[in-house]
Amino acid sequence: MNVPLSWLKEYVDVDVAPRELASLLTFSGTEVEGIRTFGGDFPGITVGEVLAVDRHPNADRLTVCRVSDGTDTLTVVCGAPNVAPGIRVPLAKAGAILPNGTKIKKAKVRGVESSGMLCAADELGLSDDHSGLLILPPDTRAGTPFSEIAGPPETVFELEVTPNRPDCLSIIGIAREVAALLGKPLRVPSVELHEGSGEVGKYVRVEIADPAGCPRYIARVIEGVSVSPSPAWMQRRLSAAGVRPINNLVDITNYVMLECGQPLHAFDYELLKDGQIVVRRARLGETMNTLDGAARELRPDMLMIADSSRPVAVAGVMGGAGSEIREVTRTVLLESACFKPADVRQTSKRLGLSTESSYRFERGVDVENVDWASRRAAGLMAELAGGGIARGGIDCYPIPHDRKCVELRLDRARELLGIQVSAERVQEIFLSLGFVLKSCTDDRITVEVPAFRVDIDQEADLIEEIARIHGLDKIPAPAPVARLIPDADDRNTRAALYCRDTLTGLGLTETLNYSFLSEKLLNLVGYGLPSERLFLPNPISAEHTVMRDSLLPQMIETLGKNLARQARQVALFEMGRVFRRAGENDYAEEDRVCVGLLGPVGHDGARHNGEITEAQMFQWIKGILEALCEACHVPRQVAGGMSFADILLEPLENSCFAEGRGVSVRVGGEACGVMGLISDRLREEWRMTDPVAVLELCMAPLIRQVLDVPASKPVCNYPMVDRDVAMVVDDAITHESVLKVIRSKAPAELCAIRLFDLYRGGNLGQGRKSMAYSLTYRSMGRTLRDEEVNEMHDTLKALLRQTLGAEIREG
Amino acid sequence: MNAQDIVKLKDQALAEADLSASLHDLEVVRIKYLGRKGLLPAIMEGLKDVPPAERPGIGKCANELKQALGARLDEIKARLQQAARSASRQLFDVTLPGAWRFRGARHPVSQVIEEAIAIFARMGFTVADGPDVETEWHNFDALNTPADHPSRDTQDTFWLGPGKLLRTQTSPVQIRVMEGRKPPVRIIAPGRCYRRDTTDATHSANFHQIEGLYVDRKVSMADLKGDITFFAHRMMGSDVKVRFRPHFFPFTEPSVEYDFSCHVCGGSGCRVCKNSGWIEISGAGMVNPKVFSKVGYDPDTCAGYAFGMGVERIAMIKYGIEDIRMLYDNDVRFLSQFG
Repeated sequence: MNVPLSWLKEYVDVDVAPRELASLLTFSGTEVEGIRTFGGDFPGITVGEVLAVDRHPNADRLTVCRVSDGTDTLTVVCGAPNVAPGIRVPLAKAGAILPNGTKIKKAKVRGVESSGMLCAADELGLSDDHSGLLILPPDTRAGTPFSEIAGPPETVFELEVTPNRPDCLSIIGIAREVAALLGKPLRVPSVELHEGSGEVGKYVRVEIADPAGCPRYIARVIEGVSVSPSPAWMQRRLSAAGVRPINNLVDITNYVMLECGQPLHAFDYELLKDGQIVVRRARLGETMNTLDGAARELRPDMLMIADSSRPVAVAGVMGGAGSEIREVTRTVLLESACFKPADVRQTSKRLGLSTESSYRFERGVDVENVDWASRRAAGLMAELAGGGIARGGIDCYPIPHDRKCVELRLDRARELLGIQVSAERVQEIFLSLGFVLKSCTDDRITVEVPAFRVDIDQEADLIEEIARIHGLDKIPAPAPVARLIPDADDRNTRAALYCRDTLTGLGLTETLNYSFLSEKLLNLVGYGLPSERLFLPNPISAEHTVMRDSLLPQMIETLGKNLARQARQVALFEMGRVFRRAGENDYAEEDRVCVGLLGPVGHDGARHNGEITEAQMFQWIKGILEALCEACHVPRQVAGGMSFADILLEPLENSCFAEGRGVSVRVGGEACGVMGLISDRLREEWRMTDPVAVLELCMAPLIRQVLDVPASKPVCNYPMVDRDVAMVVDDAITHESVLKVIRSKAPAELCAIRLFDLYRGGNLGQGRKSMAYSLTYRSMGRTLRDEEVNEMHDTLKALLRQTLGAEIREG
Repeated sequence: MNAQDIVKLKDQALAEADLSASLHDLEVVRIKYLGRKGLLPAIMEGLKDVPPAERPGIGKCANELKQALGARLDEIKARLQQAARSASRQLFDVTLPGAWRFRGARHPVSQVIEEAIAIFARMGFTVADGPDVETEWHNFDALNTPADHPSRDTQDTFWLGPGKLLRTQTSPVQIRVMEGRKPPVRIIAPGRCYRRDTTDATHSANFHQIEGLYVDRKVSMADLKGDITFFAHRMMGSDVKVRFRPHFFPFTEPSVEYDFSCHVCGGSGCRVCKNSGWIEISGAGMVNPKVFSKVGYDPDTCAGYAFGMGVERIAMIKYGIEDIRMLYDNDVRFLSQFG
């Protein structure tokens, strides 16, 4: 909403500077987004009279004009389509400065010297009209400084009006706010009409066939009008407010709409069949050409203004081309009406047609002001278009508006706002905003809400009025007082923090991806169940069509993207939600954490130059899995004197992982996620040469015991004894199976098992490998003797020989 | 060997020690004289064959030899060690790169959320959570959003099925919390939201909000102002100013928008704040009594405030990020700066 200051001042005295007024408006809820100047001094710009127009010798679209500036005759090259001999137009001579800062200089245009420029309205900052030159009235004298014609510069406020305040979509509405803020009276123009003798009913009949869609419709008839440009002052105001002047009748409807917020429509009465206005829904198959020249297919739920045979306007949105004001129009039917906001919004949306009119109706216009607006416009038409007003108006108002009364408890207001405000001040605020005080006691005030305040229907709304007019800055901002509420289950938060801290502590960097991705990426990674995928019915782009059912696809893609950016060591994690279809219109979501590793990232990675082995990469990511599980205090298992996180890896075949390199992860016996090296197919997709590892875990099993920090155990005060065991075993024997054997018979004295060497080849022979472990023994109660340790160790060695066929290397 | 010989031997030993050019030479001298099979132990061994009258004299001389040589050896050893260390001093390069480096980085969005959780925890707020796939009731109806409100359009909202959508705000968590428990309530709810915005430098179809809700018997706009101001000072620095402007939201009444003074120029106007000196942060207000009624709270005895804030926006301001897309691009060269 653009509000020219001089127009505003017609309704309220403003005795503060524009900046201060802007601040007052902003801090009472109508944000001033900008203050601009309309017009200006126009230095170097005068009125020019076009004497002759010749074709440009070297350009089809240009003309060479002889222009008089009152004293001299200049040659000016012009590209405007409406240039013609005899017209008066703004002439910017060499040295002139346009409002946008452009300096006009003599210049050759396609070989012809031009001593200036003829201006369109937009070039003078007067409107956005660039359709042709701004043609001035024929009696304008050449040589007159343009500033005399344009008038003094105008200050224009650009306001952002919130959707609940349609009353502020008008100059009077803003004037009312200003009056309340400055404590000044509001002046609303009188709308006494000098009506003719012809009864309006003789011309027109109005029928509202759909009162729910149209609570009020007023028709007036103005006869004997002559269509011409509207007077300069009106054109200027409209232009300053951002509305392009068209002709006096259309301009008046726009002017009154801007003035009071009531959209109006002027029909050419002669083009309405049978002088009949019917407000009804469109009929199946009906079509109409709207004013913008488009042919519209109407739907039966759209509200129309029709004559006796056809629709003539889309109610509240736009008039029809078949009944619009023409140059020959002599009699006008002036419509001032109120339409149901939801209907107008729906119709406007369906037609893809948003207008100043629909914008206001969608938000709600003042049903009690419909007649004022009708009278105001009719009066202006009589005055400015020379018309005579038929006697009376047809006012169809089937169900008169019932003004709401709302009660305010002063104590409640003070308590909610945290300030002491007096009853007198509160009354003053409501009176200044146009409310009627119905009753006032020491602690309660009942107000009648004016019809233009469609936003107010409860006490809290009144409290807001006090807050915004009295001033939010008068409310203190005390230091917080916290009454604690002992109810927190912050396991989710804590788990997220633990995971994030652990992973960043391990050197991983956190990523964040969209919750939706392309089907292509999902198919490529091939993870998750296609039948449970959740597609977006209205995606924004082909890149974002389906909700992620795993964090893995984007993780792999992110690793690939970073590799393409020449990153050599990439260690990432993401924590996020995944989604799947759980039934008909039923959706499940789950929080997960995902890790991805590329390049020499591990503990021993920093100094790594050569090839990264698959085993190495897998051990790196497994280390992360173990650290993460321990940070979240997952359940532990005990064997002998050892305690370890209960993590179980089981082979998993999934096309996402390289064969035999993928595992499912169980934590505390519960299925928790997957881990592995990605398939060759995926690596090739992103040109990854070395092994790439990923891990995805569900948060739920990790969270379960996150707050249960395990109880501490006493540490041992006696010496520990290490004994090694080196053995040659079949290559298929895993580390885990060795651990299992040892753990199965582990004495209470055994407190650690460490694999310190793994070796294949040499003279071991095909299918064999050497594994060397260091076992640590200690007693909690005393110093162990050598013989005791040897005995325990020998027992375990025998067990390994027996169960795994291990060939123990002695010495 | 008489005492005379021993004195001579001492001089010889000291002379040999003085000639030692390395720790190794020195050790050879030590072993020759003082070692287990050295000359001095031999003299002591031979003492038993010496007439008793001469024993004290010879013993004394031998002891002198031991003391003097020991002291000389220690002295020379210290000198040689010092010289060796000085010599290798230039060869020890303390500027070689550190090798114990595991520096990951939390995402700036996570940092802001964690920081906000910590700040509000000091004011007694606990964290609440809600689903990303929401019901129309929680996301719109219960928040007093009119049935034909534009924000419900398929234009703006990702609808999944009848009455189901991707939440457009974290405000539905307010509803879930109030439906689940009686007042008092004091929660913040960080989470991901979705809007059908075309992505540009300041818009993202996925983004994060932090919702706050405080309901009790007496909660005022002054509390809201005080708590938001406290948050602003902790999050952005204690010289940041906060201003409140009336605004409109369906679920609060009165409603406000709040701005922080520009941290870059301190309020004097710059490119970041578009010369206004202020940066718009988000909306807040007193909970609309209609919302209380929808969740079964008594609007006459309850009062509360609610606020929301855009996490990306705060992260962008706090860390000087000019394009929101950087936050979802996952370029490690960018992300590693936040370690």
